[in-house]
Amino acid sequence: MLKNEIHLFLEDYFKAAECTFLEETEGSLTVKLTPELDKELMNRPFYWHYAEKTGMKGEPLSLTLITDQDKAPEGLKGENVHFGAPRLQQIFQSAKRHASFIRLYEQKGFGRQQPLHPWLLVNMKVSYEADRKKDIFYSYGLNLINGSIQEDFMSALSRKSLLSKIPDFSFTITPLIKPQSGVKRLQRFLTAQIEKENHDWAVKANKRWAEDLNLLDCFYEEEEEKPEAYFIEKAALEKQYSPKIYADIINGGLIYLQPQSG
Amino acid sequence: MNVDMCFNHAWEEELEKRIEQDGPWGSWPLFQSTVKMETRMMVSNFEGLLAPAFLPGLTALPHQLEAARRVIEEMNGKAILADEVGLGKTIEAGLVLKEYLVRGLVKKVLILTPASLVSQWASELNNKFYIPAVAQKKLYAWDQYDIVISSIDMAKRSPHKEKIYEQNYDLVIIDEAHKLKNHKTKNYQFIRHLKKKFCLLLTATPIQNRLDEMFHLVSLLKPGHLGNESQFSEQFKKGDRQVQNHHHLMKLMNKVMIRNRRQDTGVEWAARKVDSIKVAFTDKERTFYDALQLFVRSQPEDVRSSFSLLTLQREACSSKEAVFFTLKNMAKKWLDDGMELPEHFQQILSHMEQITHNSKAQKALELIQSINDKVIIFTEYRATQMYLQWFFKQNGISSVPFRGGFKRGKKDWMKQLFQHQAQVLIATEAGGEGLNLQFCHHLINFDLPWNPMRLEQRIGRIHRFGQSEDVHIYNFSIEETIEDRILQLLYEKIHLFEKAVGQLDDILEKMEIPNMEEHLTDIFQHSKTEGELQVKMRNLEAALELAKEWKEGEESFAEKRNSSIS
Repeated sequence: MLKNEIHLFLEDYFKAAECTFLEETEGSLTVKLTPELDKELMNRPFYWHYAEKTGMKGEPLSLTLITDQDKAPEGLKGENVHFGAPRLQQIFQSAKRHASFIRLYEQKGFGRQQPLHPWLLVNMKVSYEADRKKDIFYSYGLNLINGSIQEDFMSALSRKSLLSKIPDFSFTITPLIKPQSGVKRLQRFLTAQIEKENHDWAVKANKRWAEDLNLLDCFYEEEEEKPEAYFIEKAALEKQYSPKIYADIINGGLIYLQPQSG
Repeated sequence: MNVDMCFNHAWEEELEKRIEQDGPWGSWPLFQSTVKMETRMMVSNFEGLLAPAFLPGLTALPHQLEAARRVIEEMNGKAILADEVGLGKTIEAGLVLKEYLVRGLVKKVLILTPASLVSQWASELNNKFYIPAVAQKKLYAWDQYDIVISSIDMAKRSPHKEKIYEQNYDLVIIDEAHKLKNHKTKNYQFIRHLKKKFCLLLTATPIQNRLDEMFHLVSLLKPGHLGNESQFSEQFKKGDRQVQNHHHLMKLMNKVMIRNRRQDTGVEWAARKVDSIKVAFTDKERTFYDALQLFVRSQPEDVRSSFSLLTLQREACSSKEAVFFTLKNMAKKWLDDGMELPEHFQQILSHMEQITHNSKAQKALELIQSINDKVIIFTEYRATQMYLQWFFKQNGISSVPFRGGFKRGKKDWMKQLFQHQAQVLIATEAGGEGLNLQFCHHLINFDLPWNPMRLEQRIGRIHRFGQSEDVHIYNFSIEETIEDRILQLLYEKIHLFEKAVGQLDDILEKMEIPNMEEHLTDIFQHSKTEGELQVKMRNLEAALELAKEWKEGEESFAEKRNSSIS
């Protein structure tokens, strides 16, 4: 059987953080943390403070996480991690911090000199939000030489061989578009895309808002001077219903690719 | 249509720095893995519940999930959760809260409960829902923590109140919200001034019976939903207590209220086994009781009602200590007012002194010894509570008291003691709310409340979801007393004990008796002769019977209709 998605994620996380794997089964993993990770995850600042002050070499803890109770060894002591577990959320936040910027080079096995074109990768979470909410994932690639935009860029990248080291005999072409203005271009592109949609959800939210506002006005219609409670409630209705779209960049970076793949 | 778009620009600024400094750059596998996790946790749909997937340890029942879904999708996050006692309103509220947290629609949350329930809420939210809620202890908690639980009495006082007014809450949850029915109270005004996007009001007490209360509660949640005050009276009120346009009102209520009843949940319940235990007074107790009755009757009408002498008789069925406490207060009042103590007063006291034995307590002792398991005893009177604790101790039975007035920590401690050490918990009425004691299967009603709903609240402490064994309920009453009569009327004639509380609401609603206790008190206090009293009681009995028949008629009609469809 396969390890579940949480397990795979944790593997990647602890590998990237260069922790030593002490024991691993299909349903559990035990790692020796690095001092950096211990400080980040284990919440024992006094210990580390003390260790540093006294010049003692701090000893990081080991952490056992159970990702699937049925497949973990019986009697194993560890923390259960699942999507709702605070520990997973904590590690996930840490992973986001450590992996929000990336720079990669496409690898090819030929000895010939290869120019690599710069691309800007941006992964975004776009949230449609009123009193209800929906998220959409966008992954864009922007060619920083010619400005072409590729959608679903992560999928395209996942099929390539990419490393953080530039291969021998390769060289990079300097971007014509600055990465920061590249981000702006992508934001404009996204805005244009989104404006084409009909946004029925927002129309409905506005309708619910208008209904409640109407009730509120009726409630206070006999009062000449509206009391404070009226304005508090009115502001609360706006917060509750007014439709908004939030676009947050999850992560991204610079990717140098061979020209034909653009 | 065009919708405002907000971009977060933090990332692109940081990107420039990283390029300048040539890093640090993340690892590609972790980068991919993080994106996968991020998309996995995204909210892909406006509808549906995501929370259950985040709560593998929680088995939510279908009616609880449905309630959470309706709150969010049909009620826009503003609802009265009014399930019957023990059906898991807290679970429903927890699900709604979790759903909003998972969706990222809610961050700042205020939970107001009676003081006795603060730590229970905190532990349920933390352990069952993995929600980092904290019980408010320090003034800075209001700013510093996102999800804070507090008692309403604490929250409404300065300097907390001012701090709370500064916060913008995304969700406010109020447990035992029926306490907010009076719009003139500080509590009500306090809640009205909170800044809140979403709001849940939890109550087990049906609010249909009192129109004004219902109006004010709904107006707290969604002002205008039932119109303004004058429109409301015009449309729905007929006289003081009666409703017109009942159907229309119920339709409106159903848009903001969810009320699951036991019989609708389709879940197997542990059975209730009810025993009525009749206890005979000793001669001395009887003499005292009779003397009290005589004393009560001999008082002029104004004294009778001003001191609600009826209370004395009810107390006499519980313990002489309970009577003594009231008599002492009465005497003090009389003397303070410069009046003489009424005739026979001394005589009553001397009758009381003669009593050395409490028949009910003796019976309770025997029962507890034969049960040989955890038992809860409910009494209406604090004096009785203290007496029983002493009496049990004399007889080698360990017990702990439980009162509404206890501080939060003390309540938790008492509950712990009861679970792990003492055999008996002696609770007064105020101890009833929100206390979960599924580990106990025996309940003694040492004396009976006249309000059937309060009785249901008592039973709900042990007869709730999670109770795996049958629940035994023992109703004590003294033969040939006012207590005996009430028991017969309320609890035997209509078999209220076996019934679920939902049916009880229906019956009371049909009778249009908004407050059973007031009604009974009225009958007993203002009947001039025994004959009048009997006639009134028989009328009430007949009305109860009739309401019950209607109710059953409706049910069998509904059943027939259902079966003919299927």
